[in-house]
Amino acid sequence: MTTVTDSPPRRGQLVRGAAYHLPRLAVAMLFLLPSVWLISASLRQTGLPPPRTIEWPPNPLAWSNYRRVFELVPLARYAGNSLLVVLFAVPLTVITASWAGLAMTQLPKPLRQALVIIAAMLLMVPTVSLWLPRFIVFKHLGLIDTRWALVAPAVMGSSPLFVLLYYWTFRRLPQTMFESARLDGASLLQIWAHVAMPLAWPTSVAVVVLTFILYWSDFVSPLLYLKSERLYTLPVGVQSLQQMDAIDWPLLMAGAAIMTGPVLLLFLIGQRFFWPERHGL
Amino acid sequence: MASAGVIAAKIGRSIVRRSGPWMLLSPFVLGSVLLVGFPIALTVPLAFYEYDGLTQPLWRGTWNFSLIFADPVFVTALRNSLLFVALAVPVRMAAAFVLAMLLQHRRRGTALYRACVFLPTVMPDVAYALIWLWIFNPLYGPLNIGLGALGLPRLAWLVDPDTALPAIVIMSLFQIGEGFVLLLAGLRDVPQEYYDVGMVEGAGRVQLFRFITLPLMAPWLLLLTIRDIAVTAQNAFVAAYLMTGGGPYYATLFVPLLVHEEAFDHLRFGDAGAMMLVMYVASSALLFLAFIGIQAWRHDHGD
Repeated sequence: MTTVTDSPPRRGQLVRGAAYHLPRLAVAMLFLLPSVWLISASLRQTGLPPPRTIEWPPNPLAWSNYRRVFELVPLARYAGNSLLVVLFAVPLTVITASWAGLAMTQLPKPLRQALVIIAAMLLMVPTVSLWLPRFIVFKHLGLIDTRWALVAPAVMGSSPLFVLLYYWTFRRLPQTMFESARLDGASLLQIWAHVAMPLAWPTSVAVVVLTFILYWSDFVSPLLYLKSERLYTLPVGVQSLQQMDAIDWPLLMAGAAIMTGPVLLLFLIGQRFFWPERHGL
Repeated sequence: MASAGVIAAKIGRSIVRRSGPWMLLSPFVLGSVLLVGFPIALTVPLAFYEYDGLTQPLWRGTWNFSLIFADPVFVTALRNSLLFVALAVPVRMAAAFVLAMLLQHRRRGTALYRACVFLPTVMPDVAYALIWLWIFNPLYGPLNIGLGALGLPRLAWLVDPDTALPAIVIMSLFQIGEGFVLLLAGLRDVPQEYYDVGMVEGAGRVQLFRFITLPLMAPWLLLLTIRDIAVTAQNAFVAAYLMTGGGPYYATLFVPLLVHEEAFDHLRFGDAGAMMLVMYVASSALLFLAFIGIQAWRHDHGD
């Protein structure tokens, strides 16, 4: 070990390694800061005077904050509601988005290109401008103040991005496989179930994770389309915590951490399927 | 009879086979029409009526538009929204591009660095806003404590009308995962041979970037810029709604916040519709400018 400094090539390697890793490590740490502060702030004991220095970790660690938020607001019920929405929305999204993606590969070229352009244009629509007219549509369909108003976008694959992701994935599969399955008399639905989907699982992992995050985190839909408190999902529930008059920062942060936890866990499990290398892009 | 049945079954099968793609496509197409296409179309008549969602709509002509443009609050919101997009989008794009180039090649540790960069993007909006409310706290937020420790001036951030909007821009700079991943994918598309040839010709890193990477990435950057203009508006809504309520002194009042207030608090659907239509026009104009700008740039530099 002591010979490292004596041998010039090793030292050159070290310097180069440091030149590569140090700036990247610094950037990574910077992006980690919000999460670190969330956890650190959530573990601070309530009732203490505000901190004068950055404390990480705080002393003593107040794990009881995580129990106390459940007593302040019915956080467990909100979490259950969020879970219910996700349980409907995620499978539905995977089915409708992959159906559309597969169907697009089977259409003649001009139609296919037109659909890709339409999907790309749908991605550019500012969602803000859909709030009010969607409210009116939901009202006429009797969906206001029901969970279906939250799940509804899953019918269209949640985001045109997911449709495009599946389309790109299916296009890269060898088309002869689809051909031979068709010659064997398989319908498109059978091809979807037995040929396309088993091969597209890395894409499905990415879509499941992203869809989960989308619905689990959705604050605007319940804000606009729900009235009954018993249907509230976690984001509106945690916001109601913020609206209580004397905000106890550590408790508020604990609520935010509880909402963030499942998302981070899922992201860490699924993140290796996010990167382009994984999909051959 | 039997043969007729067989023929009918054959025809039926053939119809199913031919219509197969359309059947699988129908949820997406019908859903998009019902949840996106029709709502967009509905905005137009909405802007010309007085409507509260309960009573009969009343024709108002262009009255809604004269009303909102006479309202200094709307004009302020429009200016804030445009300012926010003008400040946030270019920096977000540049940051995503730099990070994608920095973490482009697979090496030890790259996976971890990439995960860290993506992490803030997956955080739920509400949790993210609350964290930053804590970070920006002028008295005991970690940001000001850190600035103080470095001997830099402490700012009032969300409490000061001059720094509130920049503060929301700063927090938006950490949620750039989507652009980051798409640009990573784009960078993989640039053929390595181009760089090899460039290096043989004696081009430096700056020249390689300027004459190979940048022109080839221009379409990706354009697409992302357009998408980002559409998306950042909504991010700003959650932040402003939870952190500042549009204040202080209307400094962070964005059009979405005002649309939400008009439509869902005051039930003035017509005014809200007119505001959304103005926003459509404004964002289309921005998109057009971005498009023209990048096109002109591509012509100048040739590809």
